[in-house]
Amino acid sequence: MRKPIHITAPRPTPEEWAKHFPISKASEKALQALVDQFKATLSGREEAPANLIEPEKRRKRASAA
Amino acid sequence: MPPLPDPNGVFLNVPYDQEFSSLYVAYIVGLCQLDMVPHLASEIPGGDRRLNRIFKLIQSCRYSIHDLSRVELSVAPTAVPRFNMPLELGMTITWANLHPSRHAWFVWESEPYRIQRSASDLNGTDAYIHNGTPEGVLRELSNAFWRDRMPSVPQMLTVYGLVDSALNSIFVRNGTRNPYDRSVFMELCRLSSSLTTLFFPPTKPAV
Repeated sequence: MRKPIHITAPRPTPEEWAKHFPISKASEKALQALVDQFKATLSGREEAPANLIEPEKRRKRASAA
Repeated sequence: MPPLPDPNGVFLNVPYDQEFSSLYVAYIVGLCQLDMVPHLASEIPGGDRRLNRIFKLIQSCRYSIHDLSRVELSVAPTAVPRFNMPLELGMTITWANLHPSRHAWFVWESEPYRIQRSASDLNGTDAYIHNGTPEGVLRELSNAFWRDRMPSVPQMLTVYGLVDSALNSIFVRNGTRNPYDRSVFMELCRLSSSLTTLFFPPTKPAV
């Protein structure tokens, strides 16, 4: 049985992520809007899109309908 | 001797085709969820010879993932085997054998035991079998790497769904339908990395 590698290196900071993957300010803004929307969806403040509902819950909803 | 590799860096050696794109997104999401930094050959700008650029990228990463699940003939009439991935795996194995403390490589496949037939010299290497699904990729990433605080596979799958649902808007913004384009790769990584704190908010540093 293989043992997984324990990653102990410090996690990249937001600044390091930005350095690794430079994008335009406009893209940054658009992605941040998406992140905020996702967070609102996951916290239940907004209805989740169908593809984000877990398959098991989706099946239950379909059978209940 | 090149500088020490990024301890979180992972070189992704994957096929650049449409059928593979959902697994490609899963690799990016899964690695970012583990706070590891994915790298792709298409991210490096031109100039130097392509093979040299790829080798430098491999050297700059502590780990590499080589997905051999689509080592097959391309579509007719030009039907030829796809050698790029085995070629880059060979370069990586040589580098890792010369400098084992600097690099570790992993082979990924979709079917168990197929690698014994497609590349029998790799016998003795346990491939990670993802079954050709995003969930399988995320599961096998969790089997290959772990951190003290890391999301579960269902949590990673949730993030995968979020990122996948954003793919079309990323395409539109970058004027392409190619998920492997540098600009799309950069945005996929930035979005995935922005979602690493979704389940585990960063802890405040001790005062």
